[in-house]
Amino acid sequence: MAMYQDLYKHVYDMIYHSTTTISPDVTDIMQKALKRETNQTAKSIMQAMLDDAKMAGEKVKPVCQSPGFPTVYVSFGDKSVPGEDLKKIWAEALIEGTKNHLLRPSMVHPLTRKNPGDNSGIGVPNFEFDYVPEQEYMEMFLSFKGCGAELANAMKIFTVAQLEKGNDFAGLKRWVLDTVIKGGGKPCPPGAIGIGLGGQMDVACKLARKAVSTRRWDDVNPDPMYAELEQELLENINSLGLGAAGTGGDTTMLAVKIGATSTHTAIAPAAISFHCWTARRTGIRLYPDGRKETTL
Amino acid sequence: MAEKLLSVPLKEEEIRDLRVGDVVYLKGPVYTSRDMGHFTIKNFLEEKKELPVDFDGSAIFHAGPVVSKRDDGKYDLVVIGPTTSIRMEPYYKMMADLGVRAIIGKGGLAEDSLKQFEETGQVYLQAAPGCAVVLADGISHIEDVYWLELGVPEAMWILQATKFGPLVVGMDSHGRSVYKELAEKANNRNKELYG
Repeated sequence: MAMYQDLYKHVYDMIYHSTTTISPDVTDIMQKALKRETNQTAKSIMQAMLDDAKMAGEKVKPVCQSPGFPTVYVSFGDKSVPGEDLKKIWAEALIEGTKNHLLRPSMVHPLTRKNPGDNSGIGVPNFEFDYVPEQEYMEMFLSFKGCGAELANAMKIFTVAQLEKGNDFAGLKRWVLDTVIKGGGKPCPPGAIGIGLGGQMDVACKLARKAVSTRRWDDVNPDPMYAELEQELLENINSLGLGAAGTGGDTTMLAVKIGATSTHTAIAPAAISFHCWTARRTGIRLYPDGRKETTL
Repeated sequence: MAEKLLSVPLKEEEIRDLRVGDVVYLKGPVYTSRDMGHFTIKNFLEEKKELPVDFDGSAIFHAGPVVSKRDDGKYDLVVIGPTTSIRMEPYYKMMADLGVRAIIGKGGLAEDSLKQFEETGQVYLQAAPGCAVVLADGISHIEDVYWLELGVPEAMWILQATKFGPLVVGMDSHGRSVYKELAEKANNRNKELYG
């Protein structure tokens, strides 16, 4: 695979691109939502959001003052093992991005709250590795996930009775809407939610975060049952009237994304991960022959 | 829906004039403060130490900027936008006692603040979330910074605003909170949908 210097350059470019722009799928949905919006305040907030993203790109400034929490999703196969210390490369590139004012130094000690001032620290960035034996390329997907949004997150180990399976899963759906209402304007709406179903506590949480962080917000879930559930929840969330910034309007969420795995017969874990409107993310694929493809 | 440009320090009567939904721009000094800033103020008060700025009539912005340090040791503002305000709810009384008139952030504050606002004549202003480039446009420069040892986001930055906004009145001094009202309606809708 690529050499250290080449990888470093790809990584730094991803940080640069992610901080100064938002994902094009999100801009598209936001523009459509703005056209439909009937609340004047919500209209002006969404217009400010679109202007902000545009100005950030033009002025080479971060879209949002808070870089959120960086996670790098890496997948590789037998022929595309990274071969270099990715953790070191990413940690160094984040420090350089901070020096160049693309990122505010925001990572702190969990208890003392001491801030080293350069976004260095244990577990920064967060990594999720995936091994896919037959995959030809190595994929890296960077997501800066806002942490005001994290304040609204929720996790619950449901019982089968609590899901209200006989009532079209009304128990689960009521909980999703209740969590969105409690979140209100805190997670910087209009954003998206990821819903993780299955596994155990940590698995459901990771599924929720990965779904909302890495999927295009305009895609359709390949599983028809989940696709239908995503659509129903999205429509009903937007009928709540919370709106942009949580000050009222027709669009509270631009997307609902479900990630699911099997679970144990005794439990029904569910997690909700909120994402703000500033979907700052970039994905690339690197092939053993040096080719690079941008996925988002 | 009125649109106003207010100068800091803010007076009680002009704050009492504001109603939920009004649009406000601010001119003059705006202080940033968040979790550790509020905690530091609390410690100063407990230890009877003199605070570095006068909070009477002030506007507090729940925010932490991106800054760049100049060769002369001063700081330039790169961008700034609101952080989630609910974390500062426990300090509602302290901020009122200090004379803070306007609190700017996102997502709103809770019931204790709302009651306090009615009593003291304070207001909560919602800034466009995540719109850090747009909001920085209304600030001319960074005048000063205190408690930088807390780190860039948590330090208290003294910003000079020329036309900072737009800010929407989310909670007024007449007992109204747009967040509370919308949540009540939304809860009813959820009940309608899923029982």
